[in-house]
Amino acid sequence: MSAADEPVRFDPSDFGAIPSSRALRSWMRRTRRQHADRSFWEIFEDAYLVLFTLAMVGATGGNVVRHLNSNAATCTSWTCGQLTSWLPWIVIPLLLATTIRVLLAVGPVSASRATGFWLLATPVNRASLLRPAYRLVIASVTVIGVVTGAVIWALLGEPWFDVIEAAVLIGAVLVCAAAATVWAQQTTRRSRWALRVSDVLLLAAVIPAVILAFRPGEDRFGNQVLGSTFIGLDARHELVDTYGYPTLQFGEVRDAGGLTSGQLYLLVLCAAAVVVGAALTFVASRTLDRLGRVSVIAGGELLAGLAGAASSLDISMLGDVIAGRHWRLKGRVRSRRGRGADGAAIVHREFRRILRWPRRIAVAFGLLVVPYAVHGAGFHVLVPIAAAIAGFIAVRPMLDGLRTACRSTGLVRALGWDLRELRVVMAVVPGLFTIVWAACAFPAIGSAASSFAVAAAVISGTVRHASARPPSYAGPLVTSPMGAIPPGLFSQPARGFDLLVLCLAPVLFNLSSLWVVVIPSVVLMLMFAVRPKTA
Amino acid sequence: MSKKAAPRLAVTDLQHKYGDRPVIEGLTFTVRAGQAIALVGPNGAGKTTVLKCIVGAAEPAAGKILLDGLPIDERAEAVRRDVATLLDDLDFFPDLTAAEHLDLLARAHGNSSPEDLVDTTLHDIGLLPAADQLPGSLSSGQRRRLALATALVRPRKLMVLDEPEARLDTGGVQWLSDRLVEEKKSGTAILFASHDPALVETVADSVVTLTPLP
Repeated sequence: MSAADEPVRFDPSDFGAIPSSRALRSWMRRTRRQHADRSFWEIFEDAYLVLFTLAMVGATGGNVVRHLNSNAATCTSWTCGQLTSWLPWIVIPLLLATTIRVLLAVGPVSASRATGFWLLATPVNRASLLRPAYRLVIASVTVIGVVTGAVIWALLGEPWFDVIEAAVLIGAVLVCAAAATVWAQQTTRRSRWALRVSDVLLLAAVIPAVILAFRPGEDRFGNQVLGSTFIGLDARHELVDTYGYPTLQFGEVRDAGGLTSGQLYLLVLCAAAVVVGAALTFVASRTLDRLGRVSVIAGGELLAGLAGAASSLDISMLGDVIAGRHWRLKGRVRSRRGRGADGAAIVHREFRRILRWPRRIAVAFGLLVVPYAVHGAGFHVLVPIAAAIAGFIAVRPMLDGLRTACRSTGLVRALGWDLRELRVVMAVVPGLFTIVWAACAFPAIGSAASSFAVAAAVISGTVRHASARPPSYAGPLVTSPMGAIPPGLFSQPARGFDLLVLCLAPVLFNLSSLWVVVIPSVVLMLMFAVRPKTA
Repeated sequence: MSKKAAPRLAVTDLQHKYGDRPVIEGLTFTVRAGQAIALVGPNGAGKTTVLKCIVGAAEPAAGKILLDGLPIDERAEAVRRDVATLLDDLDFFPDLTAAEHLDLLARAHGNSSPEDLVDTTLHDIGLLPAADQLPGSLSSGQRRRLALATALVRPRKLMVLDEPEARLDTGGVQWLSDRLVEEKKSGTAILFASHDPALVETVADSVVTLTPLP
């Protein structure tokens, strides 16, 4: 009998020292290179294309921001002053809350299922294995924080030194938040607390937004665009003097070095934030071995799902992945009996379904701040479009049921309804909510006809968005630098927003009230009359 | 000679192609009320495709499919009302429990008080302990049972089932077999594809064997 025929016996002496994660990663890299099916030049071409695109987008975006910065800097009106003084107190908590929520949803430290199964289950140092993912999270958060901070402050017309300071400060604060979420990821109890903190931060962002939205102002109804130049008091000083409210706008007292006292104060704050951020990053990186495999893999799976959705440019699918995860984690809820039969039963079930996730309803009503804030800031022309976009974000999650139905022919068949009728019935509750929402936004929007147009834009846009079928790779494909893609891929992100803009066109073009009512009505009727195509 | 009932489903000279490749050619059979026909054959023989053509999920290249003497159209109200299907394209609402799915389906078909029907079906199919579970937390076998239950809480004259025994445990297959026999007795016509010889033998009155075309 040859050796190959003998049973394999476990022999501890076959196993030597546990390799370091660095050695393991380097071995994996080597193996992958051996399996690579693309030449160096092919990779170089792709990298070149990406870099070139980034440079083009960066240059164009930078130019636009620079132009808007110089325009905004000329605005010295009361409303501009209000906006620049209050915005930091809205933006910073909002960014922090969003960062904590998003990071906890994806981990923040994540690994693929394969890594979780093949590597994290071995005795190889887990902290070292996870450190590259951790560094990537910190780097991404830093870049996002810095860019977001820089863009927002530049758009407010701040001097470039202030813009840089604000960017660094926000970047550092977000890094602190990222490090804190890594610590929170280590136990479920900490994660729950972190989510509560993010809720408090969200509330903290809403309060100044509400104050800004409802604050009476002398110029509110006159100032229409940011670029307008008004002669008046610098409200930044007035705000501090009158209300004693601390702001991230600073006085004009200059020290010997040419910096204002405010800039100096912000510089110290930046330095402190950077030091704290660096310290927290270091401390959190020492605790990576305490991360559980399940939490790390769950984030990896979510990221893989999101990457799949992003590759098909399907924004709805991103929402589906997050909602799907939410319900999977929930697992079990108390069943509620329905009421009535036929269409009434479906309407009732949709109502109950929407109530099942109260946070979404709270967020939907919270988004009412947007039209009021835009109105309060004096951008009256933009109020309908801002209201429609906020309404779209508020109402779209309520149509998840319709989306599920439109993506499953089997479900539609089981329900025994024609999809066109089903779409009408499933849109009843979100439609009623839209009417209530638009009515609440009416004082900001200003006219009944425009409010109707906003409501019609929201409902037609969201229903079209929810009932869009996914791009099909089974049909004819067109060649592109990204490979073969279905023809409908690039129209996917615009689906729904096209009808939204169409409904609002008469408002934006300042047409008569008749057109403002007639055009959205026709769009609504046509949209509900056309049978949606199923997946 | 007893007078035979008119066929509930009549398939005549059905043809289907994927691209240029024919997968079904000249398939003819009928299913009468209270009768069960099994489609058998190896993977790739076209069993699921036949079922998809019948429920309108695939377009036949040629041939006629009649339901109660009328050309079948998945948009027609009669088809939506009378044909209960179980194919692999059934998805669930992620935020509705197993019980709520059945409650919704029964009500959507006009049953205004389906509580007893839902409870009985959940019990029969072994899903009563999972009644409050959301689909994402059900095992694949439980999801299959729930899918099967969706065909049982609605009115039906014809059942079109694709491998209904898939992912069921031994007890589940036995229950399914008994249930389909009961369905036949109540006058429902059944067309099902299966790889389970025992199920086919117990339930089917006739067997249509499909072979992969070259």
